[in-house]
Amino acid sequence: MNSTLNRHWSPLYLVVAMLMTLSQPTLASEKIPRLANGKPDFSGIWQTTSAANDDLEPHSNRKDAPPSAGIIEGGTIPYLPEALEQKKRNFENRETLDPARKGWTLGVPRAVYYPAPFQIFQRQADLNLVPQFGHSVRTIHTNGSGHPTDPNDWWLGDSRGHWEGDTLVVDVADFNDKTWLDSAGNFHSDALHIVERWKFLDKNTIDYQATIEDKNVFSRPWNIEVILYRHREKNFQLIEDYRFTLDYDQFYPPKPETK
Amino acid sequence: MNLFRHLKLAITLPVFLLASISAYAHHAFSAEFDGEKPVEVTGVVTKLELINPHSWLYLDVKDAEGKVTHWGFEFGAPFSLKEKGVTKATLAPGTKVTINGFRAKSGKDFGYAVSTTLPDGRVVKTGGAQDAPTAVGS
Repeated sequence: MNSTLNRHWSPLYLVVAMLMTLSQPTLASEKIPRLANGKPDFSGIWQTTSAANDDLEPHSNRKDAPPSAGIIEGGTIPYLPEALEQKKRNFENRETLDPARKGWTLGVPRAVYYPAPFQIFQRQADLNLVPQFGHSVRTIHTNGSGHPTDPNDWWLGDSRGHWEGDTLVVDVADFNDKTWLDSAGNFHSDALHIVERWKFLDKNTIDYQATIEDKNVFSRPWNIEVILYRHREKNFQLIEDYRFTLDYDQFYPPKPETK
Repeated sequence: MNLFRHLKLAITLPVFLLASISAYAHHAFSAEFDGEKPVEVTGVVTKLELINPHSWLYLDVKDAEGKVTHWGFEFGAPFSLKEKGVTKATLAPGTKVTINGFRAKSGKDFGYAVSTTLPDGRVVKTGGAQDAPTAVGS
């Protein structure tokens, strides 16, 4: 009897299993949130669980960071020799030199993987990213415009995005050199150029990739990748974390060492 | 209704004043620079940083013996400079400028730029601090 049943049902199971496999990608792409124009809608509050902000590179545990395999494709950052010396000095003095410890704007891409939530507000023409830390708002323009011809040296650079299928590709340029990439002293110059790729893995998960380029600091472009998770806790919200007064007063406004 | 209006004013006015005072304290000329130490330097621009809240201009200044000193001068916010027609192109590296201003209290080679004389002779007010002397010698 059992063997008769098995013979009878097996092909059906097979067909159902095949159908499920075939229909999965379609279902996933249908399920991600979309704007009225059909583009993926990243609106929401996001945060990484990675330890990227402690150190982008692989590291064992130390007093200010748990161990991590890092988030760099290929393991380490391809520093130019002089820049590597600067990085080592930064690392030794990270407790006092880290711009985030002074309450300064985190910069890009650090604001994406800093261990605090950030919120995305998205429209057809732009996305606005608001990190909980600090008072910055980063606008990614998706209206077809390019970088300005007469730029400033922005803390967050200038972000221009376009869609490649369901992936948001963002070109970020026109930075200043006052921010770091993590709290381990990994740094950049004002020649920093980043290309980001934002893509839904499912409706509550974003795969974030970035190619980082800086001819003054790195010998070649290099890639990072982190996963961002949507905050789904009941009533979850950003709570202002602005390091403005008291202990931080000495660091504002940022200036060369005049004292 | 009247009471409400007064109450609103009573609340908003001190908040506004406090905000102004704290902004003033953060951006104060007197915190960093010495109004008793005027400087005038002529040099060649090495870098203009158009950064909020204050821009900085760096230049190499050669003295009579040919010794080069690297100076940094605080400018106003990028937008206020743009309103006056000062952009990266105006102060590109290699541009010769004269700066009138005041030296840092530290005595180091930093200063506050009251005005900058451009190669075409135009004199532009480049400082942005509210409490700064408006002209050297005033």
